[in-house]
Amino acid sequence: MFLEIKDLSVKIENKNILKSLNLDINKGEVHAIMGPNGSGKSTLANVLAGKEDYEILNGRINFKDNDLFDLNIEERAQEGMFLAFQYPVEIPGVNITPFLHSAINSKRKRMNEEEIDNLSFAKLLKSKASDLGINIDMLKRSVNTGFSGGEKKRYEILQMSILNPDLAILDETDSGLDIDALKIVTDGVNKLKTKDNSFLIITHYQKLLDYIKPDYVHVMVNGSIVKSGGSEIAAEIEKDGFQKFQ
Amino acid sequence: MNIQDNYLNNKKNIFFSDNKDIQTHRDKLINIFENDRFDKKNNESLKNINLKNFIDFKYKYLIPEETSVINNNQENSYSIVSVNGQCSSFKDDQIEITKILEEDYNDFSKNDTIENNDHFVNLNSLFLNSGFKIVIKKNNNIKIKISNIITDDNLTIFQKNNYICEEGSSLNLIEEYENKNNSTSNILNVIKLEKNSQLNHFLIQDNSPNHNLIITTHSSCKKDSTYTQKVYNFSEGYVRNFHYSELIEANSEVDLQGIFFIKDNNTTNNKTFVKHLAEDCKSNQVYKGILNDRSKATYFSNTHVDQVAQKTEGYQLSKGILLSENASYFSKPELKIYADDVKCSHGSTIGPIDENAIFYLRSRGMSKIAATKILISSFINEELSSIDNEQMSEIIQKKLVRYLSKVK
Repeated sequence: MFLEIKDLSVKIENKNILKSLNLDINKGEVHAIMGPNGSGKSTLANVLAGKEDYEILNGRINFKDNDLFDLNIEERAQEGMFLAFQYPVEIPGVNITPFLHSAINSKRKRMNEEEIDNLSFAKLLKSKASDLGINIDMLKRSVNTGFSGGEKKRYEILQMSILNPDLAILDETDSGLDIDALKIVTDGVNKLKTKDNSFLIITHYQKLLDYIKPDYVHVMVNGSIVKSGGSEIAAEIEKDGFQKFQ
Repeated sequence: MNIQDNYLNNKKNIFFSDNKDIQTHRDKLINIFENDRFDKKNNESLKNINLKNFIDFKYKYLIPEETSVINNNQENSYSIVSVNGQCSSFKDDQIEITKILEEDYNDFSKNDTIENNDHFVNLNSLFLNSGFKIVIKKNNNIKIKISNIITDDNLTIFQKNNYICEEGSSLNLIEEYENKNNSTSNILNVIKLEKNSQLNHFLIQDNSPNHNLIITTHSSCKKDSTYTQKVYNFSEGYVRNFHYSELIEANSEVDLQGIFFIKDNNTTNNKTFVKHLAEDCKSNQVYKGILNDRSKATYFSNTHVDQVAQKTEGYQLSKGILLSENASYFSKPELKIYADDVKCSHGSTIGPIDENAIFYLRSRGMSKIAATKILISSFINEELSSIDNEQMSEIIQKKLVRYLSKVK
């Protein structure tokens, strides 16, 4: 099993968010989690990425034969986990290019791979940016600073394509995107899909899933997965909403 | 020992003690010390310090045998080593350096912007034992680097320097303070910018924990002149940077910037005070601090716009990062505006490092310590990237790397 979440319960500030949640993802699979506001979707994404604000009450998570709780935030990233943020953080003064260069080399170092030099990295970045329709001038700017909502999401996908993760978690990547931007972003994701990597896509709407075809769709309500199945569930939700699952 | 006894016992070593006018002025200052209750709440020069430590000092001053070196190593470029506050005389077509004179003292003592309220300036006037005057002659464009050296332990340097930029001149001034002695330097720089002159003043402060550095600057700008001060404080000992500025004629500008990096139990106190006394003038006051461990800092910024100073632009900004729960930074911006056609603003943001930004960077594979360091560097990136002097930029970068290497 690539990612195995067993009986996971999590709280924050005395509020239980995830309740005995179970989820298995195999290599090469695309899973979508849909759910109403406040159901715990983003909490799950943050817990997987290692955000330290949460208290783990119960359960375990295995990722690529590692106990995930043994790994800190950066070790998870270096092991191949990637979270595309719902609200990417603006970091004025931190230039995109050296930041991403440093990020890719930290992963390579952990994998005992040779570090990528400046020139090769510049070429890689330019080519990936071009694929995503990102202007080269944008790469001279500070991380997410002064970006529009769409630019931020596109830049998340650029980072993902550079870091080439084994498991990518997309936390409401479709929110705030117009239809053209959504297409560019989802095209970027589809290009990255291989039999060796997996995706966990968190969304409210079926629209995103029209572009990225999931193998499994899960409905999350009140901190637990209440139903799992195929794409037909997304269509069901689009038609009837989440009411019937609550 | 009280201040009067200290003064009387050492009178023979103190500059200008035979001058009657100066003696009268000093009697007045002694009275202030004897009668002042040292109201910490209302006097910004007393915040976070134990004045007793600075008043009950043992007066000791050493006259250097070799006073200084002046080297016109490149055209328009001078290098000065000021030893125990002294600098030997020098004169050429572009600059003139002399010892501080009685008339310079009198000139300053008549200025009531600082007088009486700032006890460190009063101490400086009372115990004056060193200083020099540099005149940049009309229409010259020059660079000066001054290394300020203290030769012995237990020295107390009370130094007044006078800089005059004559009409149309331009000065790029770098001052280095890197002292390891157990000593105190109390320095007052009085800067006068004549019409259409410019002074870019960089101060690099990197003293050991035993050295106290108190620098007060007073600048006055005439028509179309610009004064820029950039202070980089990496000191492990106490540092006080106070600046009083007056824009006295139209279309003059002052830009006062400071960055301090402090740690352990160290303290730094900072103040910028700009008086707009003429129309169409601009001022900018920006101080940023990074504080670790149990360190403390204050920053008082003040813009005063006189009623004649229409079309004033005055900006103030204070920002701080607290790397420890035990560090503290007190910032107090003030605006007093008596003209009606002005653009002024002030802001202050102090807090711990942004945890969301740390999480974001770590989620891309960067270690916590690397993420912290990159965020500290980014916090001051704007100020560092605006340094247009390559030599300065290299020096600051090296010191920043050293400070960051100790951040955990």
